[in-house]
Amino acid sequence: MILVLGTIALAVFLFIVEWIRIDVVAILIMVALPLMGLVTPVEAFSGLSSNAVVSIIAVIIIGAGLDKTGLVNQLVKPVLKVAGSSTSRIITAISVTVAGISSFMQNIGAAALFLPAIQRISKKLKIPMSKLLMPVGFSAILGGTMTLVGCSPLILLNDLMAQFKLEPFGLFDVTPIGAALVFAGIACFIVLGRWILPSPKVEEPDQVEEPEEEELEADIHELFTPPDFTHYRDPVTVADLRERYLVNVVALVEPPDFKVVAPASTTQVHSGVSLGVFGPRDAIERMAAEEGMELQEQLDVFAEDLTDQESGTVEAVVAPRSDLLDRTLAEVKFEDRYQVTPISLGRHDETFHSDIDHVPLRVGDVLTLHGPWKRLHYLHESDNNLLFTLQVEVEDLKKDKAFFAGLWLAVALTMVIVFKIHLSVCLMTGAVGMILTRVLTVDEAYNAVDWRTVFLLAGLIPLGMATEKTGAAAWIANGVLQGIGPTSPIVLIAVIALLATFFTLVISNVGATVLLVPLAINMAKASGLDPRMAALAVGLATSNSFILPTHQVNALYMGPGGYRSRDFMKAGVVMSVLFLVVMITMMYLLYGI
Amino acid sequence: MTVITISRGSKSMGTAVAEQVAENLGYQCLSRAVLLEASEQYDIPEIQLARAMHDAPSLLERLGHRRASYVACVRAALTRHVAQDNVVYHGHAGHVLLQNVSHVLKVRIVADMDHRVSIVMREEKMSQTEALHHIQKLDKGRKRWTKTLFGVDPTDATLYDLVLNIPRFRVEDAADVICRSAQLQQFATTADSARNMHDLQLACAVKAALVETNADVAVSSHGGNVLVYCGAGERHGRKVKALAERLRPGIEGINHIEVHVGVDPPRSAV
Repeated sequence: MILVLGTIALAVFLFIVEWIRIDVVAILIMVALPLMGLVTPVEAFSGLSSNAVVSIIAVIIIGAGLDKTGLVNQLVKPVLKVAGSSTSRIITAISVTVAGISSFMQNIGAAALFLPAIQRISKKLKIPMSKLLMPVGFSAILGGTMTLVGCSPLILLNDLMAQFKLEPFGLFDVTPIGAALVFAGIACFIVLGRWILPSPKVEEPDQVEEPEEEELEADIHELFTPPDFTHYRDPVTVADLRERYLVNVVALVEPPDFKVVAPASTTQVHSGVSLGVFGPRDAIERMAAEEGMELQEQLDVFAEDLTDQESGTVEAVVAPRSDLLDRTLAEVKFEDRYQVTPISLGRHDETFHSDIDHVPLRVGDVLTLHGPWKRLHYLHESDNNLLFTLQVEVEDLKKDKAFFAGLWLAVALTMVIVFKIHLSVCLMTGAVGMILTRVLTVDEAYNAVDWRTVFLLAGLIPLGMATEKTGAAAWIANGVLQGIGPTSPIVLIAVIALLATFFTLVISNVGATVLLVPLAINMAKASGLDPRMAALAVGLATSNSFILPTHQVNALYMGPGGYRSRDFMKAGVVMSVLFLVVMITMMYLLYGI
Repeated sequence: MTVITISRGSKSMGTAVAEQVAENLGYQCLSRAVLLEASEQYDIPEIQLARAMHDAPSLLERLGHRRASYVACVRAALTRHVAQDNVVYHGHAGHVLLQNVSHVLKVRIVADMDHRVSIVMREEKMSQTEALHHIQKLDKGRKRWTKTLFGVDPTDATLYDLVLNIPRFRVEDAADVICRSAQLQQFATTADSARNMHDLQLACAVKAALVETNADVAVSSHGGNVLVYCGAGERHGRKVKALAERLRPGIEGINHIEVHVGVDPPRSAV
């Protein structure tokens, strides 16, 4: 038991200090536990074959399928239309949608989906980003509590309960509680938003009006440099043209056979080359006149490569934990690495066009990228550093498969609801169905899986087993119960939920669930409370992560919203208290605890 | 068609050489006129500008940014003048104030210490020791000024295109060498260098307008696209952005303006 407690203490310590990635900590635990003889080798690796891991793999594949067919992204425009121009309506429409998506997809994906759209709304309607983003971000987290596959702790719950031989929860058993939480969260911001959300303050003189940022209507044009272009002048680079005219060279053809898409900033523009450029027409005309270039009336050399069917622009959000964080586009050699051209950089409610190569990137920065659809599509599929928010309009975007994507989701849900088949089997059926009907290939399915999450879950499951097996959970549970003395079930649920809230703020939500579910079940058994309710309280309350910007969604929105930690504390405390009150009330009403 | 900056130590005959060069080439000879113009335009007493351009900043001044703002105003006035070409500037620090422009011929006039001491002894009626001490103090002050504000040593010969030792050259000879150098192809004003000059002028004008209330700003310009680098926080950056936008009607040539917060400015920014 001492070894288990020591391992737990070490794991918690490593989760807090983050000297090692948390998934690596989980793998270390998975290996260390059988070496210390705390679990059998079979038990140590049982997490990898657990229903929780299979379920999360299936959920990710189904999410990827929905994403690939553009089904989810197609929601953005109609939702924005419904949202109108009032702050409350915008918050409500986007939050409800994000919560709904979040209940079946990863929260971070749902949160990133609307980020650029919110930035545009903020700029257009002059509503501060800080008034919009936090409600939507919190809704993405709350939406994860609406189904048993909405967030990792709930996916994990049935597996952790299995060793206590407790009846598993169904996919929609938590929906009433989750829906109430989402409703309460949105209502809280509508009613209390003006007090708990930060207002952007400009230092004196406050009277200085926020400037109206000009919208640059950009398009693709073709230019040709004459034979004497380089005579008697300093060398001209792609970066020079961008800095002088805010025009981006997206392709360059130099006879006889040199052709480059997304040329690097340092590429020199020689005589007799054709340039495919992206920028406002007037800026391109000015460039052509001042630099002595010939502006072609229509695309000629690039007639095939730069048409709307072949290439275009997308917006991509810099993800939390991205390798690009705190580095500049120049440092990572962005054009070389990604083969697409960065056009602009959106941060807060501003859009940068000048010298974006040297701006250190932050979480939530929105990069507008231009490139061939196929290349953008590949990035969308394979790169985890950027979250693509507008569906790449690629040729191989399988819009025609949207029906099958929706069908297999419906099949999986029907199997769960009507036939009461085990959740992991139903979800994997949906995932396999999508592969069979070619919504996505099996390789695309493999690539879509977030192995970090898989190993985090699989690695921590044996720790939960060891905690129970060695009696450590029972020992801690008795200690806690003795500490709080005889109490009513509702107070015990509140204590468990508070513990889960605290743990999820300092260690990962998965870690908190694995450690607390055995503990909570033991406490419940010892005090006569329904152990399933105790486990459910942990599974739900580990989503109560609003006070610190530690949750991925909060981290994503912190930069763009211009929030500081104290902004999260202010709104987060209110939200956390509300979360606990609504959750316990709903559990009382539904399950009569 | 070029711009000539003449940097000199005190009593090195630099002024005489500059005037001779201007006369030979028919150029405008500038020094105090720049201070006067800056004084008028930015409503700062000339004496304060002169002190800011001459005396090394005290410890207290280094903490504040008033001196930097005065220097920015003088630089703005200077760049406005030299953008018109055909100028000889022999005021303080022309070689650092007009960086990154290829048609600027940077000249340094030096003289050996004995020669300078003898001039001071004659003009100021000082003893040899007093004169030596006086010159050393002035040299030290100028060195510290340039080092503090621009991070370079004014006696570093690599900062200049031409260094002339006055006792070896008579004033007329030195002027002749400078005039011939100014005719060289590499110092001719080209379309590129003229554009760089206008960019520098625009950046200096924007910096002069912003620096009084915002110490931590650096400005660059490329073809009228002005980029303000602001070291302070986001909120302060918004304020700088709003102020910069308000400058647009008052400063000719701004096409687009952006404020980048927390980004290290490039060396070319002023």
